[in-house]
Amino acid sequence: MVDEKRDQVTAPGPKVGVYVCHCGGNISDHVDVEKVCEDAKGIPGVVTVKNNMFMCSDPGQQLIMEDLKNGTIDRVVVASCAPSLHESTFRSAISRAGGNPYTYEHANIREQVSWVHHGEGATEKATRLVAAAVGKARELHPLEPFRVDAKRHATVIGGGVAGLRAAKDLADRGIQVVLIEKSPFLGGWTAHWDRLSPTEDDVSELIPELCRQVLDDPAVEVHTCSQVISFEGFIGNFRLGFRKEPPAEGAYAEEIERMKQSGADTGDFIPHVGVCPEPLPEASEEQTVETGVVVLATGFRPYTPRKGEYGYGEIKEVITLPDLIRIIAENRRAGGGQLLQVNGRKIRAMAMIHCVGSRQIPGIHEETEGRPLNQYCSRVCCGATLHAANLIRETHPGTRIFDFYRDIRTYGRGQEEVYEKASDNKVLFFRFEAQDPPEVSGNAGEGDFPVSVKVKDTLTFGEEIETKVDLVVLAVGMEPNDVSDLVEMMKLPVGADRFLLEVHPKLRPVELSVSGVLVAGTSQAPFDVGETCAAASAAAVKASAVLARGGFVELDPFIAEIDMGKCKGTGACVEACIVDGALRMVEMDLDGEKVLRPEVVPALCQGCGACTAVCPENAINVSGWTLKQYEKMVEMIVSEKLAA
Amino acid sequence: MSGRENEAKILILATEDCAYPGANAVGQAHMSYPENTYILRVRAPVMFPERFYLDCFEKGIYGIIIASCGVECPYEGAYEALASRIDKVYGMMKERGLDTRRLRLTGICTVCTRAFVKEVNQMNELVTELGPPGTEKKAA
Amino acid sequence: MSTETMKFDALILGGGIAGLQAALDLADQDFKVAIVEKDASIGGKMIRLSKVFPTLDCASCITTPKMAAAAHHENVKIFTYCDLESLEGTGGKLTASVRQKPRFVDEDKCIGCRQCEYNCPVMVSDPEQGGFSARKAIYIPFSNAIPQTALMDVENCTLCGKCSKVCPTEAVDYFQEPRIFTIEAKTAVMTTGFELTPLENKVQYGEGKIPNVITSLEMERLLAPHGPYNRVLRPSDGMEPDSVAFIQCAGSRDKSMGISYCSRVCCMYAIKQAMLLSGALPLADIAIYYMDIRAFGKGYEQFFQNAMAMGIAFIKGKVARIDAGEGGAVRLHYEAQGEDGGVRTADHDLVVLSLGMVPAWNPAGTCTVSTGDDAFIKTIRPKVAPTLTDMEGVFVAGAAAGPKDIVDTIVEAGAAAMEASKYLASLARTVKAAA
Repeated sequence: MVDEKRDQVTAPGPKVGVYVCHCGGNISDHVDVEKVCEDAKGIPGVVTVKNNMFMCSDPGQQLIMEDLKNGTIDRVVVASCAPSLHESTFRSAISRAGGNPYTYEHANIREQVSWVHHGEGATEKATRLVAAAVGKARELHPLEPFRVDAKRHATVIGGGVAGLRAAKDLADRGIQVVLIEKSPFLGGWTAHWDRLSPTEDDVSELIPELCRQVLDDPAVEVHTCSQVISFEGFIGNFRLGFRKEPPAEGAYAEEIERMKQSGADTGDFIPHVGVCPEPLPEASEEQTVETGVVVLATGFRPYTPRKGEYGYGEIKEVITLPDLIRIIAENRRAGGGQLLQVNGRKIRAMAMIHCVGSRQIPGIHEETEGRPLNQYCSRVCCGATLHAANLIRETHPGTRIFDFYRDIRTYGRGQEEVYEKASDNKVLFFRFEAQDPPEVSGNAGEGDFPVSVKVKDTLTFGEEIETKVDLVVLAVGMEPNDVSDLVEMMKLPVGADRFLLEVHPKLRPVELSVSGVLVAGTSQAPFDVGETCAAASAAAVKASAVLARGGFVELDPFIAEIDMGKCKGTGACVEACIVDGALRMVEMDLDGEKVLRPEVVPALCQGCGACTAVCPENAINVSGWTLKQYEKMVEMIVSEKLAA
Repeated sequence: MSGRENEAKILILATEDCAYPGANAVGQAHMSYPENTYILRVRAPVMFPERFYLDCFEKGIYGIIIASCGVECPYEGAYEALASRIDKVYGMMKERGLDTRRLRLTGICTVCTRAFVKEVNQMNELVTELGPPGTEKKAA
Repeated sequence: MSTETMKFDALILGGGIAGLQAALDLADQDFKVAIVEKDASIGGKMIRLSKVFPTLDCASCITTPKMAAAAHHENVKIFTYCDLESLEGTGGKLTASVRQKPRFVDEDKCIGCRQCEYNCPVMVSDPEQGGFSARKAIYIPFSNAIPQTALMDVENCTLCGKCSKVCPTEAVDYFQEPRIFTIEAKTAVMTTGFELTPLENKVQYGEGKIPNVITSLEMERLLAPHGPYNRVLRPSDGMEPDSVAFIQCAGSRDKSMGISYCSRVCCMYAIKQAMLLSGALPLADIAIYYMDIRAFGKGYEQFFQNAMAMGIAFIKGKVARIDAGEGGAVRLHYEAQGEDGGVRTADHDLVVLSLGMVPAWNPAGTCTVSTGDDAFIKTIRPKVAPTLTDMEGVFVAGAAAGPKDIVDTIVEAGAAAMEASKYLASLARTVKAAA
């Protein structure tokens, strides 16, 4: 003991304790634990070696805690099972003994030794793994989790269903929310619909209810006619600037006109428009919010068919599904009738064509300038189309419907019933292949019906069928709203389908690669209203978890750290960093000189170590996982001294 | 024989998210593989500079397997950076007369037990055949 | 007998991927969570899968981190091998009576060393491997099970006593009794998941008796990297199949089975399995018989198009009947919708039934949560608050509320956690207001 203390004065190096587990024979049946302990005593830095039948048991943990408490050791190595099982057990034992949990290293001598090797070699390997762990342990330093101040505040971008849902959820969790909407209206595209498939929810009730909840909540501040103009900072501490200004000349003209005609007040629901929560701004005004998390709920827009696509833009009887939905509602408000009417024109027969602007296939569909193909399925159109067909057949029984599809995708709960009902309602189905789409042609002056639709129907084994109709409805898909300004400003990842791209569809489905920025609803992919609300709530729960601890965000200590004594300021690390902004060059004073040196932004660093590899001085390392630690481990593995 | 085998040490850099648990699964299945293998847990192998690999060979490591998460790497962009670095290391190994097969970049998932054992066995056969690093020149 | 009572903020019923996600999302907000799981390990159906669409990630690699995160979370307590006996209460006070089935192994003592398993002389067909391989009568459910605690299959145990002798911690307990305890929670989330549609209900498909007709979950095991054979062999004779067929809507959209709904995942998992198969058996012909391909999720349609480009045959037609063919082959009778139509037959070496989903749990008799006509748990505001049930403070997520894929399940679990945490916050506000 006395000698040991003297050693400390001259060389106050780390004092490592090694604890080897028998695991009730699981280890000791194949590894000579006594011999490992004996050999471990000779490893530089080791001051004590103990073993126990079960290191994870209370008595086993006590061995470590006592040695820590009485100052015998300040670094711990346990040789036992896989770290995934008990690393946290031993780290917490160290904490309970007043030590730092990061002064710990694990040697995996069960899953990676005794269970895969037998005989003498197993013992030698176990010893070398213990030695490697000691080598690393001597290079370990106490670490503390990073705390970053965080504003208990969230910003939601987009005032459609997703944005409203997320804003209300966050407010209910006691978080202050700013909601920024580009248009003068809340409710998004959903406000343009009528009744939703398959539940028959009426958007004229659903949207005002959601808007009312948000507008009545004092925790939510709503800004319409507003656009984000600047964005900086990191999780917990974003600064987001936005400009509120009168709508540009002609923008939202149709909606504003409908609002005026309806005589609605601010806060009232206007069918096929939404809720206008505040008077249109008279002048331009800029504001900045300090916010902890951002939820992107920027939504979708319906696909606009290309000119001539199924006669669109050339034959006036060709319209889109959103047009039809409004027509159905207007007909109902006008009192129904045997036949559906469009601008006073009676519709005796109509065609509905699926997958317009969805499921496009390179080589079959043509890419036109500036409009890449939409190869994805838009998910909601089959259900919405058949639902609209049922509404028409039930309210206007004289209107016959021909439905042209590739696959009917009524996947959701209650949707298959909508499909069945369409059959019962005598909607006539024709199925086509992507390469043989229906042909729509105008019959101006030629016959009784203005339009004919010809198709090679695979349901009748490829028979050519021609239907004559008064109206053609294109079931257009969804495209993401153009958010290129936000993508640029916030460095958002976008997929090949142009929707925002989540980190991982299953591991982190509502998170974007920018930490603290979440995605909700149809800006990510086509969803129906229920799925959009689920996604929005899922984004809100992540935001709430980030801000759960009030004033700060706690981050893993395993992030890059710079040794300024070694750093020469080459900037190689900044270049190699895989996260935008996690490392940056800043001017600083060094020995009275102004120099450029890198700086780690803890909230952004993921601790991958891409910087470590490129530093010529090895001046930057991930705490707890340094290059030197690995070099020491390799040295111990090849050490001659340990040779049996 | 056995002493010589143990000398031919193989280093396995295994990612904590994929390959390291994969190696544990091999243990749970009680499959067997050569014992001259040393698995080090890493967050992302992108952290190792070129010289780390060369130093390992210099220190007497016979072969290195980088058992990564492959394209499922949780650090976006890190795998690509790693792959291009390994290409550079291959060039440097050639310059030094080291057989490039001594360094292998592969992807191992959490339950890829057979793939893991296969990789280890292949590397073991190779280094047994090649002998200590640096002796290739003489053989050629 | 007085029962032990434990208090939590939230009770999660079911430790599959939905339950784990909901638990983590609540625990990360500093709520105390109990997960009650009926099986001996958490992980649910997902941990049993091979790879998952559309990314072809290894299912285990996605599930195990969430299992471990829940198991190590300071705010989460996991109870496995437990049945819910009853759940009652309202106004923020729910009382759950839970019955823990005996493992015949002391959970606190077992260290997961598997000595018992190695020494057990009894071999039993292993349902975790689709019955294709064997396990012992005392065993850890599967390699990445959590907890790594053994359990005894008393049906097959011969009481030879070997396990008890070799156990280093004396954890084997032949006399273990069921344990009844009470969990008090303020809110609950039902994440009780699904089972496959029972094959026995479909006479035309052989009721599970035709050789080499397997279920989709069995095919998952054949394809899994840690599966039973390490390659795809057909069960009857171990032959490597040259032609494999998938039958879609086997147990979905089928009124003859009383299941009129679409199960939503079968198209995609069949395409995925077909893609994995074409990797495992590059020379085999692979065909998918279908009515509509429902590749509706993000990246799904592109996945489907890739499968077509890879040469997987998609045959439009409903399979009417399946018979045993010659030499272990399986004969399909189907009505073709293709070029010429008509009723046709086709022989395949191996046939996979793409079975649909039925609910794994019926709340009737346990609590007042209602179910819909489809027997899944009813949601009362499917559009604006899709996880609300008709029992106050009780929410639902994942396949418990209707068939759902993993992506949609995980997102919905987050939404349920949001609703539950809002409910908890509203209770706290009420308490504060009353004080």
